[in-house]
Amino acid sequence: MKVSLEEQVEEALYEVIDPELNMNIMDLGLVYTVQVRENGEVYVRLTLTTPGCPLHDTIVGGVETVLYSIDEVQNVEVDLVWTPAWTPDKMSRRAKEMLMF
Amino acid sequence: MSFQQTKVNLKLPFSFILSSMIALVVSQWILFQNVDLIAEGYYRTPALWMAFHLLILGFAVMVVMGAMYQLVPVAFLTPIWSERFGFVQFGVTIAGVLALSVLLGFNPGHAVYGGALAILGIIMFMFQMFMTIRKQKEKNMMTWLVTGALVFFLLTILAGFLLAWNLSNGEILNHESLLRSHLLFGVAGWFTLLIFGFSYKLVPMFSLSHGYSMKWAKPAFIIYIAGMLVLVNAFWSMNQLLQTTGWFLLFMAFTLFLLDIREILAKRSKKRLDRPFLFAMISVYFGWVIHFLTFIVSILLPGHSKIWGLLIYLYLVSWVLFSILGYLKKIVPVLWWTLKYADRVGKEKVPMLKDLIREKSSVIIYSGIVAATFGNVIAVLFNSVTGLQVFQGIWFLFALAFSISIGRILTK
Repeated sequence: MKVSLEEQVEEALYEVIDPELNMNIMDLGLVYTVQVRENGEVYVRLTLTTPGCPLHDTIVGGVETVLYSIDEVQNVEVDLVWTPAWTPDKMSRRAKEMLMF
Repeated sequence: MSFQQTKVNLKLPFSFILSSMIALVVSQWILFQNVDLIAEGYYRTPALWMAFHLLILGFAVMVVMGAMYQLVPVAFLTPIWSERFGFVQFGVTIAGVLALSVLLGFNPGHAVYGGALAILGIIMFMFQMFMTIRKQKEKNMMTWLVTGALVFFLLTILAGFLLAWNLSNGEILNHESLLRSHLLFGVAGWFTLLIFGFSYKLVPMFSLSHGYSMKWAKPAFIIYIAGMLVLVNAFWSMNQLLQTTGWFLLFMAFTLFLLDIREILAKRSKKRLDRPFLFAMISVYFGWVIHFLTFIVSILLPGHSKIWGLLIYLYLVSWVLFSILGYLKKIVPVLWWTLKYADRVGKEKVPMLKDLIREKSSVIIYSGIVAATFGNVIAVLFNSVTGLQVFQGIWFLFALAFSISIGRILTK
């Protein structure tokens, strides 16, 4: 079964890990929007657990790297935003179980 | 805002941090070699001047400068004004700190020349930071605390320069009042306000805390500064009541800061805190107790020089140095990880930050440092040279172990 580009993009984003929390950015709820546009253009809007996190260059760079590794992706736009601010309730149950208990 | 803007050449903070490790070990070695002077209360001697300046300027100030080169751009979302200027500033500062420390130890009459170079390096650093902070778009409480700390840093070095001038050219100002002002500006004004400022960013970050208020940050800042102004006034007017009032204000401000930290930690999502970070949090409680003791001693034993010497030691070590040693083991892995692995994310499996820290050895090192610090205090209280030799020896060994553990992070 052929996997759609949307699915490939989402799957790839699970590979980007916040090295401080040892958790991927999807389970952390850091990714707000993923849009796959025409001509292999991908737009990702994401935030971080706190503004001024020393790892934000790394995480944004990691997103670009994993997405460009998909053959069909031609252009990646990563939009780092601070509103709405991230809150712990955005985490998946798996992330909450790992970090909060 | 483009995320690219905050990137900093990590060799810059590393230059400061690695040289500071050497200064930490050497300063503890000199203290170990001169425990008899400490036991007898001869604090104002060339060997101890050298050790204190290596410890405070060579270790604490250099490490803070290195950390600020990394933290200010990311925490203030503002790029460093000039990296090239930063490397020049590093060279000038390290040369100045070394010259000042060595001259204080072997030729105090000429210490003013080393001091002048160190001051130039520090002023260059402050210029760099003011130019950087000036560009920050939205100022916040952290901006005020860090800016306040930098202003007190400037006052510290001005008072320090006047002290060195007094030593070289005879007294032009009351040496005792000047020395007290120098210590207050440096230890309380510069370090404490800076640790307050960065704690408001680092504590929620490392504990993954949200929904906290920071409601005491502004009153804590204002009251702490008011307390220092009252104290400086008291030092120069020799007014005991004013002095007690000043210490009370510092204690009150610290209590407010502690309330904020407790709220941040209570609202954290990360239940198990990393050991180095936990050590930094324990140092906040040490700091609070020292502020309380200082207030009490100012009422009960205002003229007891030995007790005041111990309080300054505890203020500096159990609050300032413990905070730095705790945060450093969180900051260095982030720096090293970013330098070595940031570009490999998404391409290959990379280690986590916790893989770079040996938690078990951290607990042993921090426990050893705490035991050695309080052992030193007890040894001084009982005039035990042997006790000081043992505990300062332990301090030296654990300072060495700490530096090696930082070095080991860079091998991973």
